[in-house]
Amino acid sequence: MFHAKRLVLAHFWVAFAAFAVAILLGEWQMIVRSPLHAWISNPEHYYRSVTAHGTAMAYVVPTLVAMGFGYAICELALRRPLVGMRWAWAGFWLAIGGTLMASAPVAAGRATVLYTFYPPLIGSAFYYLGIVLVVVGSWIWVALMAINLRAWRKAHPGATVPLAMYGNVAGAYLWAWTSVGAAIEILVLILPVALGFKDTIDAGLARVFFSWTLHAIVYFWLMPAYIAFYTIVPRAIGGRLYSDTMGRVAFVLFLVFSMPIGIHHLFADPQVGAGFKFVHALMTAMVSVPTLLTVFTIAASVEIAARLRGGRGAFGWLEALPWENPMMLAVAFSFVMLGLGGAGGIINMSYQLNETIHNTQWVTGHFHLMFGGAIVIMYFAIAYDLWPQLTGCAPLPAGLVRAQLWTWFVGMLALTMPWHLVGILGMPRRMAYYDYTHPALEAQAWTVTASALGGAVLAVSAALLVYILWRSQRRAGTPETFEFSIPVHAAARVPAALNGFALWVGMMIALTLVNYGFPIAQLAVLKETSVPAARVGVR
Amino acid sequence: MRDRTVLWSVVALVALTVISMAIGFVWLPSVHADFTVKGLWDGICRAAGVPASWGTAAEGAPAPVRTTAVVLEPAMARPGSADAVGRGATLALQCTMCHSARGAKEANAPNLAGQYTEVVMKQLSDYQKGDRTSAIMQALAGKLSARDMQDLALYYAQLPRPKNTPVTDMGVVPPLVKTGDPMRNIAPCAACHGGMEQKLGTPWLEGMPKEYLAQQLAHFASGERRNDSHAQMRNMARALTAKEIEELAAFYARQAE
Repeated sequence: MFHAKRLVLAHFWVAFAAFAVAILLGEWQMIVRSPLHAWISNPEHYYRSVTAHGTAMAYVVPTLVAMGFGYAICELALRRPLVGMRWAWAGFWLAIGGTLMASAPVAAGRATVLYTFYPPLIGSAFYYLGIVLVVVGSWIWVALMAINLRAWRKAHPGATVPLAMYGNVAGAYLWAWTSVGAAIEILVLILPVALGFKDTIDAGLARVFFSWTLHAIVYFWLMPAYIAFYTIVPRAIGGRLYSDTMGRVAFVLFLVFSMPIGIHHLFADPQVGAGFKFVHALMTAMVSVPTLLTVFTIAASVEIAARLRGGRGAFGWLEALPWENPMMLAVAFSFVMLGLGGAGGIINMSYQLNETIHNTQWVTGHFHLMFGGAIVIMYFAIAYDLWPQLTGCAPLPAGLVRAQLWTWFVGMLALTMPWHLVGILGMPRRMAYYDYTHPALEAQAWTVTASALGGAVLAVSAALLVYILWRSQRRAGTPETFEFSIPVHAAARVPAALNGFALWVGMMIALTLVNYGFPIAQLAVLKETSVPAARVGVR
Repeated sequence: MRDRTVLWSVVALVALTVISMAIGFVWLPSVHADFTVKGLWDGICRAAGVPASWGTAAEGAPAPVRTTAVVLEPAMARPGSADAVGRGATLALQCTMCHSARGAKEANAPNLAGQYTEVVMKQLSDYQKGDRTSAIMQALAGKLSARDMQDLALYYAQLPRPKNTPVTDMGVVPPLVKTGDPMRNIAPCAACHGGMEQKLGTPWLEGMPKEYLAQQLAHFASGERRNDSHAQMRNMARALTAKEIEELAAFYARQAE
């Protein structure tokens, strides 16, 4: 049944290899800027490392995990061979080629623009072309997800799309539309300058296009984790999914509200009107709805598992949970980090409160806690759950897996909590060094050391992940048949709208046009808005 | 069932959009005097990022101070034709007294050999327009055409730089060059003058006469020299102590030994 094993495995291995390298860069950054190390003699090396760390962690790792998991879902949920296997491999190799093409100029110091590009900084054209190749590779995946769903529908007229595939295709459509913003920014605004055809760039417009991608990309990263919450966690801990419909509602709400909210990243940017900033702030708040629905549904599903195991009382059932089960641990850690990070996110999206933490270490803390913590820990859980299917290996060593999840959780909190604290105190982000001898900063020095120690724990945890996966792959076993979670009311029919995407994709595009159309059109026609490009590493 | 889900979803989204637009474009601007001083429509336009006017200078406000008339463009840094370089070489004959025949010598005039094209062009233009002062250079630059300046700059840019002693021991590089001093708002010299990054319009400094460098830093600090378009050098130099100026000038001059 499972024809895409090698394909999925290749995606996961490359993702985790890039992850292992990038985490070492991250830890190196943490050490050199901490009081444990003298000031770095060439700060450009620090920013080069930030660029590589961000590019690998934000573009390469989650894209490959989403693609690999997507292919796996296609076969496991639809129970038929993947259509378009050759295209899938082509997409994979495009992503690999793009990663290598982008890495070379970064390593050579020709693209130290940080992974968010920051025009008017302009790096080597190869860096941007490499990113484009990764994105084009992922667009092949998007097309394949749609094609596979269509083929399944043709064979099963009128049937309800399995929840995992529904979420998977929602994530694919989300990504397709999300990536358009950065694609326009690179192809229309940045590449003509990087290739030398132009010497100026409309940095304000470029930032607006990037914001289109910048926030929604987070939900693309998040989709595999949410799919795992709904379709793997309840089964893995011996329970039932509380509501299949709620999962569909959460997925389509992400589809509609992920995109038209990115201007909350531009609250301090003068080129966007205050009215649009407010609208985006308010709509960002809407994204908390699918997250709260998910937290409720999964908590209810977990409670079902506990009560099936004999749990009693209003809170007594918590004790009956299978805490020795790595998936239980992963979802608990993920929810704790999601709760803390989500609360912080509400501060980020508030038009006024944002001013207090804008461009501080708080923001670095927020996205590491949310993505690196709540989401990536579920990537680990997905890999652990799929590994026996992919490699035909014996059950994974539960003790080591628990140790890996614990170290990741503890390390991530040690990394990000101090960042949140000093962010409120005003410590700026993206600094290669701080002057700890200054009386005003001396008291904050310990926080950077604490974060560096947290980073070290994370590096150990990442090494453990790679070791567990590598070791398990070499131990043959007979894996059980893979099943997704079964909902409590398995036979319930879902509304037709929640079995398709037309309505939600239409709303997504319409809302994007309403929320982004005017600011983009206005900036595009405004004269004299371009500034000279600052080419990086040319001389 | 389908129709109701579709209908209510669309109605809810439209309602949410209309309400948030009403708050963002009408209600919130209405409590800000600067948004509504010219009426409701003007407030809506301003909230959309389109003010009725993009700002006019207040009456009685001082006229903006001009620091330089040169707008640096990357095109200024492109290499020129052999003809232009040859013409520049001829014109440069009148510069040899201070800058030597090959653009560098042990005098207190700055080295020009290998200097970036746009740097020489900008300084000549600034001398000509009086944005940078020097009794000698203003007199000499006064009669140069734009093409003369460009050709001179192209000529000097292609001359070989004096041999530098490469820095192999980072320990000898002053911290201000490598890291600046963030708490005093001093950026690292190497962030613009080469080493980490070389910014457009920023001269390379290795091998420059120590006296020249120290004097220019002192002039930037006092405001006597003010042709740095964004006050970037005045702001750096003002924060430096006399000892630091001496140390930095000595470091950059030492390279040629």
